[in-house]
Amino acid sequence: MNQLKRVSLSQLLIYAVLTIGAVVVVYPFFFMVNNSFKTGREIMHSPAALPTEITLRGYTGVFEELNVLLLFKNSLILAVSITLLNALLSALAGYAFAKIPFPGRGRIFGFMLLTMMIPGVLFLIPTYVFIYNLGWVGRYEALIVPSAVSVFNIFLVRQFMLGIPDELVEAARIDGAGEITIFTRIILPLARPALATVAILTFMGSWNDFFGPLLYLNRPDRWTLQLGLLQFRGTVPGENSEQIWALTTLITLPIVVVYFFIQEQFVKAFANVSLSK
Amino acid sequence: MTSLQATRAMPQGTPLWLRIRRNAWGYVFVSPWVVLYMIFGLYPLILSFYLTFFTYSFVTPENRAFVGVGNWVGGATDPLFWKALYNIVLNQAVFITLKNGIGLLTAALLFRITWGARFFRTIYFLPVITSTVVLMTIGDNLASPGGPIQRWMINAGILSGPSFWKSDNTLPMIVIALINTWKWFGISTVILLAGMYGIDPRLYEAAAVDGARGWDMFRRITLPLLRPQLFFLLVVDVINGLQMFTEVFSIGFNVYGGINNQALTPVLYLYAQAFDRSNVGYASTLGLLLAFIIAGLTAIQFRFIRSEAD
Repeated sequence: MNQLKRVSLSQLLIYAVLTIGAVVVVYPFFFMVNNSFKTGREIMHSPAALPTEITLRGYTGVFEELNVLLLFKNSLILAVSITLLNALLSALAGYAFAKIPFPGRGRIFGFMLLTMMIPGVLFLIPTYVFIYNLGWVGRYEALIVPSAVSVFNIFLVRQFMLGIPDELVEAARIDGAGEITIFTRIILPLARPALATVAILTFMGSWNDFFGPLLYLNRPDRWTLQLGLLQFRGTVPGENSEQIWALTTLITLPIVVVYFFIQEQFVKAFANVSLSK
Repeated sequence: MTSLQATRAMPQGTPLWLRIRRNAWGYVFVSPWVVLYMIFGLYPLILSFYLTFFTYSFVTPENRAFVGVGNWVGGATDPLFWKALYNIVLNQAVFITLKNGIGLLTAALLFRITWGARFFRTIYFLPVITSTVVLMTIGDNLASPGGPIQRWMINAGILSGPSFWKSDNTLPMIVIALINTWKWFGISTVILLAGMYGIDPRLYEAAAVDGARGWDMFRRITLPLLRPQLFFLLVVDVINGLQMFTEVFSIGFNVYGGINNQALTPVLYLYAQAFDRSNVGYASTLGLLLAFIIAGLTAIQFRFIRSEAD
């Protein structure tokens, strides 16, 4: 009761501003879902109104004209394999950089940090030429292999592992444990928060990626969900609008559901990124 | 430095063969990155410089011709490349100001409330996790002539008639900056809020004793102590922003950014050169030019922050 009284005028004002902000942020999502249940005519003439009659024509249309399950499968294959590879390889490299003082470690690590400074755009054309000559255009490998491990993820994991006490690792070594045992039994369980960050950021990046699939998977049976939207891009405004709203809703739904279950980890993942710099 | 760490991490009496075995595992564990980087990092890096001296096309790779520094001179004097740079700088000036301004405001407000901060943060973060293609599709329809925003603006008397902003010369980059602000400000909120929670509350208490009030405290204590976070956001924004492609393409512009190149960005332009005109050598040169510009801007930012800190 006391607390309620202490809510002053300025607090009320702050809540008002924050609520307006929340409405502005959420409204476009509402707009999308709302329109996905309307007929093309209604979308065109009263885009902001509620549907006078709920229709699923957009959704059935998407499934008729597009092999949605195939695109979903393609998106999932890419995101899952890139995420697993990154989690494993950055954990291995992060462990070596943090806890195994092999000769030359400082130099390799310094070089790695240097490569982080090179803007990605530089690699765009030459990598395409290389992958084209390998014959990988139109294949999953074109996207999976080059992004199997990233400097950024290694750096993130290494920073975290520096915080694991050396004594833990040394004690295990004295007991005769090999590096693989130490890695799987001691390091991996302790590094779970860092690996969760890596997994969330990598999965999200891959799931939402548009440019990569556009470049390399230019073949309908390899399309991802994001590319599927191009299929309904019309030349006349309002064309295919039913399908567009249904498909955007379908693309967004899985990641939003996951987000609401583990939103704390999502937010932490992004906060971790800035603190590690 | 390496030897120092080696002696610390390894007790004196460890037999040599054990140390060698352990170090060998170190090399094994970092080798995936080293190998992948040599193939998909260093090799393309060298190839990109090499390509700039040729005309090269995917269709007829055998007709490769040496052109010397022709691509470099062409790129540096290409009016479309400069137009694209102008567009992206305009876009980023609006975007970076709004995104970090709104992020700072929301973080400052969330810092002051006693309950519900987590709820608002969750909501503000929603666009961050959503795909660019989806958000641009929504933004495009909200802002279209006949869309809800323009209808509301006409009713409120702000607009006199429908605006066909996509064919305007500057509006497309502004509208895209606004949609991107909606998408990304949540990151600034989260990072700056974390920074605010990290500030020692005794600083505020001491300032309050000295008679400082809300705005003074924000300007004299909060803002200077948030400098590392703000600097991080700025550097990342500039690096990412100048490489924009998906936003423009998925909002419905062709790879030339519209009839008057009103929405052309540097990456869009090099994509057009490589895949529409099959000028691969030229596109590679444009990529290098853009990379140098980004590296230069990042270096200036680092120098600026260093002289500020002194």
